[in-house]
Parts: sequence; C-alpha cells; structure tokens
Amino acid sequence: MKMEDMSLSGLDNTKLEALAHDIYADLVEDACLGLCFEVHRAVKQGYFFLDETDQDSMKDFEIVDQPGVDIFGQVYNQWKNKECVCPNCNRSIAASRFAPHLEKCLGMGRNSSRIANRRIASSNNMSKSESDQEDNDDINDNDWSYGSEKKAKKRKSDKNPNSPRRSKSLKHKNGEHSNSVSSDPYKYAYNSGISYETLGPEELRSLLTTQCGVMSEHTKKMCTRSLRCPQHTDEQRRTVRVFLLGPAASSLPDVDGVVENDGYDVPDGQALMSRLQWDGSSDISPSDSASSKASTNNSDSKKPKKKKKPSLGLNSGTCGGPGSGSCAAVGAGTTGSGGGGSSQGSLGLPSRKKKPKLPAPPTPSIYDDMN
Amino acid sequence: MWSQPRAFRVNMSKESQMRAAINQKLIEMGERERLKELLRAKLIECGWKDQLKAHCKDVIREKGFEHVTVEDLVAEITPKGRGRANILVLKPDCFHCLTAFLVLTTV
Repeated sequence: MKMEDMSLSGLDNTKLEALAHDIYADLVEDACLGLCFEVHRAVKQGYFFLDETDQDSMKDFEIVDQPGVDIFGQVYNQWKNKECVCPNCNRSIAASRFAPHLEKCLGMGRNSSRIANRRIASSNNMSKSESDQEDNDDINDNDWSYGSEKKAKKRKSDKNPNSPRRSKSLKHKNGEHSNSVSSDPYKYAYNSGISYETLGPEELRSLLTTQCGVMSEHTKKMCTRSLRCPQHTDEQRRTVRVFLLGPAASSLPDVDGVVENDGYDVPDGQALMSRLQWDGSSDISPSDSASSKASTNNSDSKKPKKKKKPSLGLNSGTCGGPGSGSCAAVGAGTTGSGGGGSSQGSLGLPSRKKKPKLPAPPTPSIYDDMN
Repeated sequence: MWSQPRAFRVNMSKESQMRAAINQKLIEMGERERLKELLRAKLIECGWKDQLKAHCKDVIREKGFEHVTVEDLVAEITPKGRGRANILVLKPDCFHCLTAFLVLTTV
C-alpha cells in the first residue's frame, strides 16, 4: 500500500484524469443499473404505465376554466341547499346553522332549554294520550319516568314532518287542556318520588310542619331543610303543602291556600284565559333556573285550574256568552300557533312554545334561533 | 528481453493494484456513495432520468409487457445512458470532486 501510494504520487495529470474518468463511468453505470431495476420493478408491479391515459378520458377530465364554474365544470354555489339532519331531533338544518343548532339541541352550556324541551315533549305526550283515551292510568303513571321520556321523544320525531296535524291536535287540546292538567296534581303528588310514596299521611304532616318540603323538579325529593330555608320561597312551601295535604292544610304556619284558591275562582273569562296561557308558559318555561321553583310553579299553576274546569269547558266549547272574548283569544292562539308551526317546518315544539308567548309582545329571536 | 515484459507485467499489476486500492479507499471513506448521490441528483435535475424512462417505455412496449427482463433493460439502457451522461455538462462537477479526492488520497 505504501509503495503504491508512493508510486501513485508520481502519476501525472493525464493518468489521474483517466482514472477519474473510469470511476465516473462506473458511477454512471451504477445509476443506469439503478434506473433499470426501478423500471423493471415498476413494470412487474404494474404501476409503470399508470400515468398514461388515453385521449378520451383526458378530454373527459379536462380542467374547465370558465367563470361561474369550478374546475370540474359544476356550478359551485349550491352550498345553500346543503342540509344536515340533526341526530337528536331529526330536523334537517342548513349546514351553516348546524353547529349552533347542535349546541342547543345536545346541550352544550346551559341545558335549561333542553330540560324544558323534554318537559314539553312529555306533557305533549301526556295530553295527547289523554285525549285519545281518558283515564289511562298506566300512561299517566309513566309520564314522569325515564321510559316515557324516551317515548315522548320518539313520538316527537314521528310528529315532526306534518306540522298541520300538530296544530290541529293542539286546537283540540285546548278543549282538553283543563282536563289533562286537572288530573295532573294528583299524579304529581303520588308519583313525585320515593320520598312521597313511602310516607304516610301523618308522617307527611309532621314532616311538613318541621321541614321546608319543597319538591325538587329533578330528583322529586323534598327539601329537608328548615322551614326558613333560604333556597325556596314561602309561596313554594305553601303550594307544596296545599298539594300534599289538600286545601284544608290550614294548620300549617303561613298557609292560606284556601284564600288564594278563592281568589282564583272568579269566573271571568278573559282573566281565565290569560291565566291559562300563563299556566302554559309556566308549564314549559325553561327560564326558571331553580328547579324546585319550577316544579312548584308547575303545581301552583295547576291548582287553580282544577277549579276552573267547568267554566273553561264552556268557554272553548260554546264560544259564546261571557267567554266570547276569551274564545277569540283561543282562536287567535291556535291560528297563530298553527302558522308558527308551519312556518318553522318540522320542529317538535314550536307551536306549543308560541302559545304562551302570545300575550307578550312577539319575540322574533326565538324563530331566528329555530331557523 | 526479459525485462521489458516483466516490467510491463509489473506495471500492469501495479496499475490494477492501484485501481483496486483507490476503489477500496473510495468505498471506505464513503466518498463513492456521496459521489453517487451527487451524480444521481444531477442526472435527475438535467432530465437524464426522464429521457431514459421514456426510452424504457418504448423498449418495454416493443418487447411486450410480460417479457421484459432486467438484462434486456440493462442492455438497452446502459449504452444510451452512458452516452447521454457524457454529453451532458454535469461531468465537470463530478470530475472535480473525483480529482480532488484522488489528489487528496495520493498526496
């Protein structure tokens, strides 16, 4: 090696160049061989001719360069009628509104509206079943359980496509409304939770004299704090007592439900109707964040109605006499709700939601949300 | 009389030995790989590869899709590739490197 190096150092430039040339040729040959291997492998694997196409297909898939169309030659402003179907409520919603709708429907953030929706659905279900078959206790009992909620949901989705029918049933429901709600308080009292069913009347009475006792909407349990519990109002406590012990629960402190009921009993048609509508709103209004308060609102509104039942039936049925004004109000309510239902498409609950809003100034924001 | 062929023989063997030694050194130092990479990049850059590929396509079509062997391809492609590589002006680059290497190793 040393010797060769020595001798190599004696080489002149021409010999060096020849050497370099040889090596270069070697390298080129290597590159050629590499290419041959590459091509051969491509041929045998079948992807060598993939990039070759015939003229027809080339013409077919030519890039279109014209104003108003995309490179495939399609008109591209069709995104407007792209719609997504909500997996929760089965409505089809414009793609641009889908994310906000999902947020509302599935309940990110505030879920009070979702709770309200469920309540509406269940009450819808209830009133419907009662109009179909009166005094069906099984269905009524189920109304507050989880299974019935599911059922109500299903029914809601079934009802979705034909909104006119919905409005019709709602009109019908106005007649039945008092009926259905009148049976409600009992049901509520008996079915409102384990804590109620397990208690006897005496126990209940003693409990109510020592404890707050306001029922939670979700758990259906009673509040076990003292009578001065700050979470619930006196009115809520009073209504609970009226429910559980009947109107004669005058032995309880600060309960004057009888007087209140008397106050409600004025047979004024107009006041009655507004009362009714307000009842509806309290029935579904999701705005009260305190759940227990909502529940008592519920019961509070239903209590006086029980007494009003005959007069209401007369009002909506005959549509004459002293109740004519209220009858007009009913008509307005139903037509308005029907229009709302049809304009909003297949929404499960809009007409129902609209009805309570009628006395108040119209609130377009709701419909913006829905559309 | 004896000396000349002998000297020639010695010379030849010396030369081949020297070549082998240089090749060995090229490989050992990784210079050969580096040069190969450089050359390949240059060849792709100047379109040599694409031209040869097009030629390959012709050859393969001629011979039939199924009957192509590596030997055929080598026989068809290598002369052409070598000629093109010599024509192209990328030679000085590699040459420069090569001579620099040789000078380095021999000095």
